[in-house]
Amino acid sequence: MASVHTRDTVIIVDGDDISQYCSKSDFKRTADKHDLTTYGKKAKVKGGGLLDGESGIEGFYDSTAGTGPRAVLLPLVGQVVTFVRRPEGTGVGKPQDTVNALVLDYVETSPVADYITWAVKLDHSDEVTSITQ
Amino acid sequence: MNLADVMDEVAGRLATIPGLTGRVYSHPVGSLTPPAMVVSYPESMEPHKTYRRGMARMKLPVLYVPGGRVSDKGTRDRLSQICGDSGPMSVIEVLESGTYNAFDVVTVEGIDFDVLTIGGTDYPAALFGLDVVGKGNRS
Repeated sequence: MASVHTRDTVIIVDGDDISQYCSKSDFKRTADKHDLTTYGKKAKVKGGGLLDGESGIEGFYDSTAGTGPRAVLLPLVGQVVTFVRRPEGTGVGKPQDTVNALVLDYVETSPVADYITWAVKLDHSDEVTSITQ
Repeated sequence: MNLADVMDEVAGRLATIPGLTGRVYSHPVGSLTPPAMVVSYPESMEPHKTYRRGMARMKLPVLYVPGGRVSDKGTRDRLSQICGDSGPMSVIEVLESGTYNAFDVVTVEGIDFDVLTIGGTDYPAALFGLDVVGKGNRS
């Protein structure tokens, strides 16, 4: 068991590997909560419900036509696409999560005296397929 | 990014400034004759600005020694042209308008001024802080 650096993390959106433009990403899975408490109980009883999730990706803007983050992500806003994340990188035995995701928003930020950055929010749709490569 | 290639390209671009042809060094030297410009070693290098070594960044100092004494008006005027933000002698204008192979973009983040004592005589100097960003050796 060992700590893992993010330098090998792979991010693929709608079939395009945009890892080289990404500086941060997150992957969140949630579940609905149902209150199943009945009379006589001194503490709440809970049950799990439908699963849900979301992901955020951000990075540095790149002007590369066709494969840069703006070229890939901006046209996908409002569409449900395949999102693949390999937190430890590509390789046998390494984890991979695949999920359909609604591209909720794409934001470009231009701070003065610094580099343009971008960020995108993905809303998971349907179940996640988590495998070992 | 390859450090030597970056330093060479920056020096090559600076050498196009009128009056500095043949007087720009792509690395620290043992001695120089002002006016002269020296591309020094980076203050820092960051190879993992994005995943898979997609983007690398370095802070690169460039020293300019105009020659002439601190008290000379001509020295001030030369420094003013070099440190200005426009004109054919402006480091900012020349560097930021260039096209490069070894990196994507260079920005002059700031200029510090100092006095160097050489042989008992004070000479002014300007230290340019460059922010250099380019593609890493992608894995």
